Amino acid sequence: MNRYLRLYLQFLKFSFSRSLEYRMDFWFRIVMDCMFYVVELIFFTILYQHTDMLGGWNYDQILIFVSGFLVIDAIHMTVFSNNMWWMPILVNKGDLDYYVVRPVSSLFFLSLRDFAANSFLNLLIASGILCWSILRYPGELETTNLIWFLFLILNGAFLHYILQMFFQIPVFWTHTNRGLVTAFFSATELMERPDKIYSIWTRRILMTVFPALLVIALPARILFEGPDPLLISWVLGVTACSFLGMRAFWNLALRHYSSASS
Amino acid sequence: MSPSLFFHLVLVEAKKLMSYRVDFWITMVVALVVNLVILWALWEAIFAESGKELIGGWDLNGILAYGVMVFLTGRIVRGGDLQMSVATDIYDGALSRYLLYPRHYPFIKYAQQVGNILPDLFQSLMMGLVAIPLLGISTTADVTPISLLMAIPSILVAHLLFFLMSLTPQYIAFWADNVWSLSVMLRFVTMLLGGAMLPLTLFPESIQVGLHWLPFSYLFEFPTLVALGKIDLVTWLEGICYCLLWSLLIGLLSIPVWRRGDLRYTGVGI
Repeated sequence: MNRYLRLYLQFLKFSFSRSLEYRMDFWFRIVMDCMFYVVELIFFTILYQHTDMLGGWNYDQILIFVSGFLVIDAIHMTVFSNNMWWMPILVNKGDLDYYVVRPVSSLFFLSLRDFAANSFLNLLIASGILCWSILRYPGELETTNLIWFLFLILNGAFLHYILQMFFQIPVFWTHTNRGLVTAFFSATELMERPDKIYSIWTRRILMTVFPALLVIALPARILFEGPDPLLISWVLGVTACSFLGMRAFWNLALRHYSSASS
Repeated sequence: MSPSLFFHLVLVEAKKLMSYRVDFWITMVVALVVNLVILWALWEAIFAESGKELIGGWDLNGILAYGVMVFLTGRIVRGGDLQMSVATDIYDGALSRYLLYPRHYPFIKYAQQVGNILPDLFQSLMMGLVAIPLLGISTTADVTPISLLMAIPSILVAHLLFFLMSLTPQYIAFWADNVWSLSVMLRFVTMLLGGAMLPLTLFPESIQVGLHWLPFSYLFEFPTLVALGKIDLVTWLEGICYCLLWSLLIGLLSIPVWRRGDLRYTGVGI
């Protein structure tokens, strides 16, 4: 464990120094993410000009929900997104060889080696938006609910990564996974809406087959309605099963990896 | 550029895209299903919870038709998005090859982008055939063969406008190490202010007035309203002219950026 922690600290050091080399890109990316946050907030603000409630949530509640999603997106952009970008390239070029032979988990190395330092600033901004939306909330939010919510946000970011990996790994068999990745990003839009707007069958699918609602919608519900042990167990259980499934899929893919010809 | 060369480039690009058939179909099916699920769920919930019959001048079926149509037309218009095409040429040094050609670089790129939209056109047509019969009858939208025919030139000029809008951020690659973020920013802004995320009639009145003076509405909202039969002939002609004028203006603005950038270009890549 210590070895992995030390290794991750090295990744961080290297990523920060590298990102400062490309200063213009550093700022472009920060502005880009901020624009995404503004667009998301404006979208829901306009919707609430025409309705008081959406999926059983009022505007103050939806602001917390959206801010929670922004934090998850920021974590994803900071910790995983660059690595997800490089993964298919490494597989197709055969550069994965260098990672497979290292004495650490290849999944750990390839998922975490590139930390986006510029997006880290966005993570701070998104966290600020979340704090602001919680502080301006007129009702009372219990501390236990809040702690569960924040914990489940981290879980949501992890689940987001796991789900994306399911769409990335097929690149070991196909020449390109562009379609699958585009499909994944289309499907993530399902996460960005409150769970109660979906019909009961859609909700069931989005809590099991493609557990998009577990990323932020259910954590937000736990924040407003209190921690339901069954719901929390479900969220954590599905995340754990998805991770085990993804790891098994990764190992299977590695067995099929045949260097540059993949 | 001669029309035969233009169409040759268009076909080459379209063939290239069609060579990844699995990607082509996966992207199409997932995007359509997700879009329909979200559209239905979101707007049914809003109409039910607000208790209103009309929102921003649309009834439920009308706004669903708008959502589907803006998605279908938007796919074609966004085909004009260069993404990293020009920037990659600059970074790799591949631009040198184009500079030697006896044709202007932006024209070649435009032909390639038109080639990109051929599969999108095909996809949108297929999706429309699946999705439009599912939509109920609306009192606020009226899709007719004439409105669909009128939509075609509107989409094409919108595509041209989007292409020209995405050109200048790509030229920034002469100076910056990575311009991917700029392209994504452009997409965010145009999607929101162009009516791809929501009909612009839902925006507050004062913002609607401001948006009227900007080019964004011609990208997504205008072709969609034309397809839904909400634009009369005179307004349609005016809209096409405004869109072309914006294209001309934005195209002219990109010229000095290209010239300056061209002077900096070393051809060795980075």
